[in-house]
Amino acid sequence: MRALVIEDDPHLRAQVAQHLADEGYTVDLAADGENGLYMALEYPVDFAVVDLGLPGPGGIEIIRKARKAGRAYPILILTARDGWQSKVEGLEAGADDYLVKPFHREELLARARALVRRAGGWAQPELRCGPIVVDSSAKTVQVDDRPVELTAYEFKVLEYLILHAGEVVSKSTLAEHLYAEDEERDSNVIEVFIRRLRSKLDPGATLNPITTLRGAGYRWDLPRS
Amino acid sequence: MNPLRRRLLTSSLRSRLLVAASLVLLAFFLVTGLALDRVFRDTALRTQQDKLEGLVYALLAAARPTEIGDLTIATAEVPDPRLKQPASGLQALLYDEAGTVIWSSTVFMDMPAPAPVGVGEWRFEQLRQPAAFSLAFGLRWIDLADDPQRYTVVVLEDAAAYQGQLGAYRRALWGWLGGAAFGLMAVQLMVLHWGLSPLRRLTRELRAVEAGGQPEIGGQYPEELVPLTEGLNAMIRNERTQQTRYRHALGDLAHSLKTPLAVIQGLTEERSLAASLQQTLREQVGLMQQITGYQLRKAATAGRRVLSEPVAPRPILDKLVAALSKVYAPQPPRFELEVPATLRVRADAGDLYELFGNLLENAAKYGGGRIRLSLVREGRWVQLSVEDDGPGFPEQPEELLERGVRADTQKPGQGIGLSAVNELVKAYEGRIELGRSGLGGARVSVALQA
Repeated sequence: MRALVIEDDPHLRAQVAQHLADEGYTVDLAADGENGLYMALEYPVDFAVVDLGLPGPGGIEIIRKARKAGRAYPILILTARDGWQSKVEGLEAGADDYLVKPFHREELLARARALVRRAGGWAQPELRCGPIVVDSSAKTVQVDDRPVELTAYEFKVLEYLILHAGEVVSKSTLAEHLYAEDEERDSNVIEVFIRRLRSKLDPGATLNPITTLRGAGYRWDLPRS
Repeated sequence: MNPLRRRLLTSSLRSRLLVAASLVLLAFFLVTGLALDRVFRDTALRTQQDKLEGLVYALLAAARPTEIGDLTIATAEVPDPRLKQPASGLQALLYDEAGTVIWSSTVFMDMPAPAPVGVGEWRFEQLRQPAAFSLAFGLRWIDLADDPQRYTVVVLEDAAAYQGQLGAYRRALWGWLGGAAFGLMAVQLMVLHWGLSPLRRLTRELRAVEAGGQPEIGGQYPEELVPLTEGLNAMIRNERTQQTRYRHALGDLAHSLKTPLAVIQGLTEERSLAASLQQTLREQVGLMQQITGYQLRKAATAGRRVLSEPVAPRPILDKLVAALSKVYAPQPPRFELEVPATLRVRADAGDLYELFGNLLENAAKYGGGRIRLSLVREGRWVQLSVEDDGPGFPEQPEELLERGVRADTQKPGQGIGLSAVNELVKAYEGRIELGRSGLGGARVSVALQA
């Protein structure tokens, strides 16, 4: 999952980035409205945190333009103005939730999880597909009530595929959403992750949760339950 | 200050102008009437005197000495035939020096002997009882015997004709003057009504602005009032925009205060920090957050103001419902709004956002998924009720109205909603009541003077 943080205060920006990175997000940072707008429109974003009081184009404008350009990823507003008028304005512009400064780390992460899950069509923190249960808060996976040990990257791939269930996800898309800009992307590594996921989740090859589409990518095919 | 003076100073412009103009009119007509009456009476008396003088000359022309040396008047030679008719209202008498009547025409009244009149002198008198005019003329009759004798000729004429004439004149005069005064008063009333109508209209418009019926003073006004209406409108607009500017400034202040607070808040969560320090820091940051939040909110509250622009609550509620539905997706609460679209409330839009937003958010957070909001006007009061189907308020819900008390510590960062609402209600001199809803959950009833 790739998160975009647009916040002008360097300390707060670093903190939010750290919180999100700890949660397993790949984080892109923008310090002003101009860079923020560019990233919001051009980057593969899964979730954005936007401060409303920004130099350059304001948070509201960035949200409005991103939505107008068809960007549908969830957006969380960070605001110091706790008046309802500004909250309503932000939500009307296209944001999905708001967080009033100052906030607790847990609050931020809970909102982020809920928004990302909701964008994938899940209401509960537990993503259940047949015998496979992924807890997006605790970052744990169970198959037939038995815990399965996954590496952080394996979990990211699994979560991304489940949240985009039914869609064809290309290797490059997966790489984009897992790695930061400056990290080296190797599509062979993705293949390795998929193979390991298959063997860990479905050792008997009976469920076949991930379908490989030659030349196109992968698709999560296990229906939710 | 005596009561009359105070009453005069505080009485309406209309009654001031009316009283002053009426007094002037009254004085004018009185003086005019009296002057005209005087002129007419003087003229009539002059005419009367001239007439009687003519008669005296005629009488003297008909005077003849008698054998005994007295004078007599040959009635037949006098031109006025009334002297020969009894009770004709005209009588002539001739007195000698001793005041004895030596000749008289037909008598119609008794006449005391007149005071002697100097020779060649006239004395014109108006007698009261009976009403008559008398003209006396003193003369010396020099005859051939060269024995001058003094006589007084007196002519009496009944004043009835004169009085009739005068009465008729006076009736006509005062009738016309009264009519004119009445007409002028009526015209003046109309002029006043017309002249003061812009002021009345202005008062009406101001009332409407106060009552929230219209945003500002519209309409065309006479040029003398234009600076006033423009000034009033500028004042009304200024009062409104001032609150907006003030809010922006407060918003900037909030931003510059709360971003560092958020940073410190984040620092308290650093794992490298000692647990004891973490606890203290967190408490202090929480306290600062609460105080700044409370004070900023309180400062941003516009409260009840005389010239607030009337606001339609319905669009605000629709926006809030849309916003909350988004926040509580994918299973937003069911909102039932019972708010007439035509309802206007004399309150600040920002205040209404806070009031509705906090109450609806509480209901969405603590309720069971069904929220009913109703807003009705009852005279000067606007009654708001927000109900949900949740577990309802805990024991002693009044504590929730005070700052910083949280009903549900499971949902952090909240619990100030109701105290914020309480502050707003205070700013509008309203009432708030926490109770149980017919839906099974909590019910907040708010009455505002708006």
